[in-house]
Amino acid sequence: MTAPARTSVPAARGPMAEAWDIFRRSPSAMLGLALLLLVMGITFAGPHLYHVDPFEIVWAPLTPPGEEATIPLGTDNLGRDILAGLIAGGSATLAVGFAAALITMLIGVLIGAYAGFYGGWVDDLLMRVTEFFQVLPPLLFAMVVVTLFQPTLVNVALAIGIVSWPQTARLTRSEFRRIRTLEYVNAMRAIGAGDGNIIWRVILPNALPPLIVSATLTIGMAILFEAGLSFLGLSDPNVMSWGLMIGSGREYLLDAWWVVTLPGAMIFLTVLGVSLVGDGLNDAFNPKMRER
Amino acid sequence: MTLAPTFSRRFLLAGAVALTALATASALSAQEPQRGGTLVLASVHKPRHLNSAVQSGVATAVPAAQIFATLLRYGEDFTPQPYLAESWDFSDDNKVLTLKLRQGATFHDGSPITAEDVIWSLGVVKENHPFSSMLAPVEAFEAQDPQTVVIRMTQPHPAILLVLSASLTPILPKHVFDDGQDIKSNPKNNLPVGSGPFKVVAFEPGQHIILERYDGFFLQGKPYLDRIVIRQYQDANSGVLALESGEAQMFPLLDGTRLIRRLEKSGNLTVTDKGYAGIGPLNWLAFNTKHPALSNVRVRQAIAYAIDRDFVTKALHSGLSKPSIEPVVQGSPFYTEDVERYDFDLDKSKALLAEAGYGEGGKALELRIDYMPDVEEQQRAVAEYVKAALAKVGITVTVRSSPDFPTWSQRVSSYDFDMTMDQVFNWGDPVIGVNRTYLCSNIREGIIWSNTQQYCNEEVDKLMNAAGVEPDLAKRKQLYAQAFKQITIDIPIHFINEVPYHTVYSQAVQNPPISIWGTMGPMDEVWLQQ
Repeated sequence: MTAPARTSVPAARGPMAEAWDIFRRSPSAMLGLALLLLVMGITFAGPHLYHVDPFEIVWAPLTPPGEEATIPLGTDNLGRDILAGLIAGGSATLAVGFAAALITMLIGVLIGAYAGFYGGWVDDLLMRVTEFFQVLPPLLFAMVVVTLFQPTLVNVALAIGIVSWPQTARLTRSEFRRIRTLEYVNAMRAIGAGDGNIIWRVILPNALPPLIVSATLTIGMAILFEAGLSFLGLSDPNVMSWGLMIGSGREYLLDAWWVVTLPGAMIFLTVLGVSLVGDGLNDAFNPKMRER
Repeated sequence: MTLAPTFSRRFLLAGAVALTALATASALSAQEPQRGGTLVLASVHKPRHLNSAVQSGVATAVPAAQIFATLLRYGEDFTPQPYLAESWDFSDDNKVLTLKLRQGATFHDGSPITAEDVIWSLGVVKENHPFSSMLAPVEAFEAQDPQTVVIRMTQPHPAILLVLSASLTPILPKHVFDDGQDIKSNPKNNLPVGSGPFKVVAFEPGQHIILERYDGFFLQGKPYLDRIVIRQYQDANSGVLALESGEAQMFPLLDGTRLIRRLEKSGNLTVTDKGYAGIGPLNWLAFNTKHPALSNVRVRQAIAYAIDRDFVTKALHSGLSKPSIEPVVQGSPFYTEDVERYDFDLDKSKALLAEAGYGEGGKALELRIDYMPDVEEQQRAVAEYVKAALAKVGITVTVRSSPDFPTWSQRVSSYDFDMTMDQVFNWGDPVIGVNRTYLCSNIREGIIWSNTQQYCNEEVDKLMNAAGVEPDLAKRKQLYAQAFKQITIDIPIHFINEVPYHTVYSQAVQNPPISIWGTMGPMDEVWLQQ
């Protein structure tokens, strides 16, 4: 069934290989990828190389970095190891980012696909719902969601996903509106394919490139969002995340720069990496770039 | 008037203690108070209204103590002084208190303050104030003549003098407030006609309260200030910035120890921890004694031994908070050294846990800790510390945050908690602020700062009730000491530290409010150097 969709893209070497070629030639995209790999390396390999419980009090509070050999990045206001926090916090922060992006994609694509494909009253209805969510100030809305339920990691990811999907829905809808009028879609319809088939197996794969770019950027946004919520004290206090570190360290900003600055730098590098990769993907999937 | 004893004592101490004390004292005594000026008070507390007869809490107490006079006042030590009442006398059986009111005292609308107003005001407090224990033994308030008030009690009630000095018992004008409306929601509570040194001229919630000198105040020549502006700031940081820029001259009730340390270094501001003996603010860890594991006293004791108070006071609170070991603060006359202290001892903690069947080799123990929101250093940081500290003895603690105060108080008062950090005030006398936490009769679901631990020991109740009616101070102290000892053995609460409230003020401020009530007492003697 997917065969016709595939053949509709004229490519000698396969679109993915071609995209990678373009991606590879962009220095900023490769820098972003390197940053992401670095962050993931710290997060996933870190616990095997440096083993400290991030909640354990290991030394005098607010010890500056470099003062004590066993705790290279110093301690926070409770005397907890900052390096351990950065390592352990990475997986929580990245998990929230990816989970929120996934939720955003699921809701956004579902609503956007039906709205774009069917048009008419379905489109009207779904778009009004989308607009309703779009006009709510996202941070405020997320705060309400997290406040109503407990600030656990899952709820934070859900909250971010729930406030972020309208953009994805609009993007999906416009892609679907464009693609559904193309000849190969008509051809599918002519040979008797059902709506579901056409939506998920024909149009979606062709609408995917901009959606992947959007998803990548959503990850970065979600990580920032989590940091913002944490800064306001709305993060899961039982799971170490960079946001939590910033949230509990902000009181000490004037006395101990490292408590907030180091997790802040990690968030900065991660979001920068994600954004650069997103931009690189955007170029890589852009047909106009391909001709160069 | 009230200054003389304070000064002479300072002079005596000066040689032995600090040179600065001498300098301040001699500077003060050398100078005549100057009239005039505006004192801007920075505050982060947001009062709902200004009538302290029906509203507890420091937010209302600070302005209300300026707007309303009370019958008595207290100085720096715990002894009563005349205020609206110029003299008072107990009957031989200590059940009747007769107070003589000052001649010529008037409300801010010019009408005279009579015994009729006083007994009506006290009746309002007795009926409406959340601290029901403070006037509970009172049978009748009587106006013998326009200048004489008689308070009849069913039993001796030594705390009554302190009650009459706190902003909890303001004297209201009956002819203004007795208008048939429910006093708790009376719109006149926003701009009340008062009886104190300052009259309120503006109250913009979230912005400011403007108080102006009342020229007809019953103490001749006072107050010294023309105006007090209580300006509200979003957080302590912005209040401190206002102080540093000279926009405000005084910031009471500051508990952020890093901010306090910074201000101490700044040089042109004075920092004092005086003025808080009356409210006696404690920061503690409360247990739900009905929790399956925490109902075992050994588990509670084990938790106490695993918590290092010194870490909290020195590391978390920059050395500014005092460790607390019992139901009252060190400044209270009822403070005793003879209690179970639970000094940090991990081995003891592990042994007690093992006896209870938990810890290494025993059952796993998982507990949840709540904390009062928006009180970072005192509550959240300590809760996070408790989590880390208990991990060392094998107890897994989950921290549960509450988005706002009502959520937290709803959880705690409906017993939906294992352990919680909490802050509770002594309010000068155990009858007002201490009994409520421990008496069996005060296990009242839905009411925060009642006995939410659901702790009940008949023996403690007997001791505290006996102390409540004991007129002899020495015997009273003894009874409370016994009660406090038993409470610390039963440990429904693990006392951690005294809240390090500080008042910061600029050098222009003279006679800062350092009585036991601090800024929650009248500031008629504060003046500004011009």
